[in-house]
Amino acid sequence: MDVTKHIRPPRAVFVPFMMGHLFGVPFHKKLQRCIILEALDLLVATDESGFIKELAVTWAEVRRQGKDI
Amino acid sequence: MMETSSQSNGDSEQLRPGLWQTVNERYPGSMITKDDLVPLARLKKPLSECRLTFVSTSGVQPKGSLPFDTVHPVGDYSFRRVPSNSIPDDLEIHQLKYPTVGAKKDLNVIFPIERLNEIADEGLLGELAPDFFSFIGYNMDAERLERTLAEDIADAVEAQASDIALLAPA
Repeated sequence: MDVTKHIRPPRAVFVPFMMGHLFGVPFHKKLQRCIILEALDLLVATDESGFIKELAVTWAEVRRQGKDI
Repeated sequence: MMETSSQSNGDSEQLRPGLWQTVNERYPGSMITKDDLVPLARLKKPLSECRLTFVSTSGVQPKGSLPFDTVHPVGDYSFRRVPSNSIPDDLEIHQLKYPTVGAKKDLNVIFPIERLNEIADEGLLGELAPDFFSFIGYNMDAERLERTLAEDIADAVEAQASDIALLAPA
């Protein structure tokens, strides 16, 4: 998050995931799709530059979900 | 999935104090700094009519294309075009700077080409641009990055008349 804030993108979705796993875990199509749609939603919903949306899901939770797939 | 949101107030809060100083000492000038915000570009038409391209620092590239130079001390300032209708089996990763264990099982964890095609096929997006763009994130010369690679990709994206560029780091 500190790096994301530092570079000041016009709009961003922040995910607390392991490096190299920006869109989640293998075969978790629902999550991968969700992250993309959250980013697309910002194109419509953002009012001013610098907005960062945090997804309140943990890496541990995502990994658990991935193991069930 | 519950969601929270926060708005950047422009402050840079290092979660690892001293790290950026260390990086800048080792690679002088490598940390890009910005003092202002990029003006917001608003959509001029519905998402369902927009053309989207994807830009990634994952180093994903078509099989058989020139591998990225992942060991050069200053980095690789080239990019690769990835046809948006590619399937994961057509693609490979040449990248040493992030763990690829997940991507090797399912490329979509770092380069969601299948998910983007599905979303476009469903009509949520107008269409995908003919090409996506990939480069590696290991670039230690920030000025060169901004002057060459960033400009080259921006020109390529604009040439394909994309309305949206989804950017994803690795």
